[in-house]
Amino acid sequence: MAAGAGAAAGGRSFSFKVVLLGEGCVGKTSLVLRYCENKFNDKHITTLQASFLTKKLNIGGKRVNLAIWDTAGQERFHALGPIYYRDSNGAILVYDITDEDSFQKVKNWVKELRKMLGNEICLCIVGNKIDLEKERHVSVQEAEMYAESVGAKHYHTSAKQNKGIEELFLDLCKRMIETAQVDERARGNGSSQSGTARRGVQIIDDEPQVQSSGGCCSSG
Amino acid sequence: MNLKSERRGIHVDQSELLCKKGCGYYGNPAWQGFCSKCWREEYHKARQKQIQEDWELAERLQREEEEAYASSQSTQGAQSLTFSKFEEKKTNEKTRKVTTVKKFFTASSRAGAKKALAGKLKEIQEAKAPSPSIHRQASIETDRVSKEFIEFIRTYQKPGQDIYKQCKLFLDTMSHKRELSIEEQSECAQDFYQNVADRLQTRWKVPPEKVEKAMDEVEKYIMTRQYKYVFCPETTDDEKKDLAVQKRIRALHWVTPQMLCVPVSEEIPEVSDMVVKAITDIIEMDSKRVPRDKLACITKCSKHIFNAIKITKNEPASADDFLPTLIYIVLKGNPPRLQSNIQYITRFCNPSRLMTGEDGYYFTNLCCAVAFIEKLDAQSLNLSQEDFDRFMTGQTSPKKQESDSFSPDVCLGVKQMCKSLDLLSQLNERQERIVSEAKKLEKDLIDWTDGITKEVEDIVEKYPLEIKAKSQALAAIDSENVENDKLPPPLQPQVYAG
Ligand SMILES: Nc1nc2c(ncn2[C@@H]2O[C@H](COP(=O)(O)OP(=O)(O)OP(=O)(O)O)[C@@H](O)[C@H]2O)c(=O)[nH]1
Ligand SMILES: [Mg+2]
Ligand SMILES: [Zn+2]
Repeated sequence: MAAGAGAAAGGRSFSFKVVLLGEGCVGKTSLVLRYCENKFNDKHITTLQASFLTKKLNIGGKRVNLAIWDTAGQERFHALGPIYYRDSNGAILVYDITDEDSFQKVKNWVKELRKMLGNEICLCIVGNKIDLEKERHVSVQEAEMYAESVGAKHYHTSAKQNKGIEELFLDLCKRMIETAQVDERARGNGSSQSGTARRGVQIIDDEPQVQSSGGCCSSG
Repeated sequence: MNLKSERRGIHVDQSELLCKKGCGYYGNPAWQGFCSKCWREEYHKARQKQIQEDWELAERLQREEEEAYASSQSTQGAQSLTFSKFEEKKTNEKTRKVTTVKKFFTASSRAGAKKALAGKLKEIQEAKAPSPSIHRQASIETDRVSKEFIEFIRTYQKPGQDIYKQCKLFLDTMSHKRELSIEEQSECAQDFYQNVADRLQTRWKVPPEKVEKAMDEVEKYIMTRQYKYVFCPETTDDEKKDLAVQKRIRALHWVTPQMLCVPVSEEIPEVSDMVVKAITDIIEMDSKRVPRDKLACITKCSKHIFNAIKITKNEPASADDFLPTLIYIVLKGNPPRLQSNIQYITRFCNPSRLMTGEDGYYFTNLCCAVAFIEKLDAQSLNLSQEDFDRFMTGQTSPKKQESDSFSPDVCLGVKQMCKSLDLLSQLNERQERIVSEAKKLEKDLIDWTDGITKEVEDIVEKYPLEIKAKSQALAAIDSENVENDKLPPPLQPQVYAG
C-alpha cells in the first residue's frame, strides 16, 4: 500500500540492469561487495554470492531497483559478453590504475558495447585501487580524455578505502533515469517499465471501447 | 485408571474422544473432532463446494462478458469479415515484428464464429493429442491450475475479474493463431504480459508488488494451457538442436573440473552433496510446464552451486567462480532438451523477470554455459590442439588428477561403496596373509620340534647308550660272588645274658 501511495504522489519506479565488465583481478567483485555490503576482503561477508546483487535507492522520490550483474572476466569467457550485457541499462567498466593492460581491455569493451547497444547504454569507466596511487601506471589525464571521447563518464575508486563508490552508483542511476525518461518522451507514452519498453511495443490503451470489448484482431 | 486421570485434572469423557460423525472410531482435534476417514469426506465436500462456487463465478463473468459483446456488436454484423481479416493479419504479421497491443484489445469479437472455430480447433487438438494417459494427467493439472488461478484472482476483486477476462481472451485468440511462427506467438505472449501489467498499474492502480504477484499467476495460468502447443514445436529445429547439444556434451565427457578451473573440491562430502543436488535441479527443469517454474529450477541449481563454492573457498562466489561451475554441472548432468527449455523460457517467460531479476541472471549464465559448451575448443580449456583432438576422438583420456579414478558421473554413494569394497578387499588380503603366516609359523614350529627330535635321535644314534661291563672294583658289597665262600661267615650278634 505504501508503495502505491508513493506512486500516486508522483513517485516512479525504475528497474535497471547494470553489468560489471573488466579484466580479472581489477576489483569488480570488491567494488560491489563494498557498495552492497560495505565490506572489503572480509571473512564475515554474509552474502552467499557476489555475482548478482541488488540495491534499492530513492533518488528525488523516484524508486530505483538496481540489479548488478558480475560477469566472468577470464579471457576464455570473453565471447560470452553479449549474452551478459543484452538488455542492460548501464555498464561499469573497471580497470586497475596500476595495470596498463587492464585499461586497454576497457577500451575493447567500450568499442564492443557501443557497437552492440549504441547510445542507449550508460557507460562508466572506473579506475580502481587509487589507494595504490604511488604505483599508478595509467595517467589520469589520458583516462579522462578517453572517457570523454567515447561519451562515457570517468570515476576514481578504491574498494579498499571505500572511496568514490557511492558517488559512482548514484551518478550512474541518475543518468539511467534520464535516459529512460528521454526514451519514454521520444516514444510518447507513459510506460513505467523502462526495461520492457525497449521491445518496441506500442501501447495504445485509451479508447473507451477497450474496456467493454474483449475481441482481438484475429477473430474480429 | 479413571481415578488417576481425575487426579491429574485431565478427565475426558469417552464420548468426547469419539468421531463427531458417530461412526464409532476415535476422533482427533486436528481433524476438528472427526476421525481421519470422516474428516477427509467432510473436507472434500467443502472443497468441492468452493470449487463449484468459483466456477459459477467464472462462468457468470464470461456470460456477462459475452452478452456485452453481443449487444455492442449486434449492429456491426461483420461475421463474414472474420476470416478474411484473420488471413490478412497473418500475412501482416509475417512481415512485421512490432505488434501493437491495440489489436488485441480493441478489435471486436463475434462470439458465434469464435465459438465455432474454437470448437473445430478443439477437435483437431484432441485428435492429435499423444498418449491418452499423459493427456489425462496433463489435463488434470491444467484443471487444478485453473481452479487455483480463479481462487487467486478473486482476491483482486474488480481488477481480478479484468485479468481473468483478458486471459480468457488471450487463450482464445491464441487458439486461432497456431499457424503463426513460434516467434510471432512469442511476440503475442510478450505483448500480452506487458499489456496486462500496464493495465493493472495504470488503470486499476494496483501497487507494483501486487502487480508482480498477479503477473506470476497469469503466466502460470496461460502457459500451463499453452505448453503443449509451444514447447519444442515441430515447426522449429529446437529438437534437432537439443540432440546436437546432448551429443556434444557426451563427446566432452573427458573434461575435468581442473581444466575448467572449477573452484569446488568434491572430495569434501558436503560439497559433493551440493554438486549432486545442483545436477538434480537442472535435470528437473524439463519436467516443469510454466516458464517461471523452469526458472526456479535453474535458481535452485545455482544456489546449490554457490553453497558448494562457499564451503570450498569460504568466500562469496563471483561470476568467475560461478560460471565455470555451472558449465561443469551442465556437462555432468547433460540435462534433457536443454535448447528447447532455454528457447521456451526466452519466448514465453514474463520479460520483467528475465531482464532484471535474480532468476534472469542465473538463466543468462545458463545460456552462457550452453554457448560455451557449443564453442569450446582447445584454447578454452588451456590444452594443446593435439591433446584436445586426442581426447575428442577418444584415443586417450586425460590423466585423472583426482585421488581416485572414478569416471566423473559416478554418484557419491557408489564412490563410497567402491571405497569400502576396496578397504574390505585390502583387509581380506591382510587377513589371508596373517593366516598364511600363522600356518607358516605352525609349520616352522612343527619343523623345529621335528628337527630337535631328529637331532636328538641322531645324537642318540651316534652315541648309542652302551652299557659297559661291570667294573670289579666297584662290585657291590652285597652281590653274590664266588669269593664270598672264601670269606668267613658274617658275624652274628651274640646275646649275653647278664
Ligand atoms: N589495494 C587495493 N586492492 C584492491 C582494491 N580492490 C580490489 N583489490 C584487490 O584486488 C584483488 C582482486 O579483486 P577482485 O574484486 O576479486 O577482482 P575481480 O575483478 O572481481 O576479479 P575476477 O573475479 O577474477 O574477475 C583482491 O585481492 C582485492 O583485495 C582496491 O581498491 N585497492
Ligand atoms: Mg570477481
Ligand atoms: Zn468417523
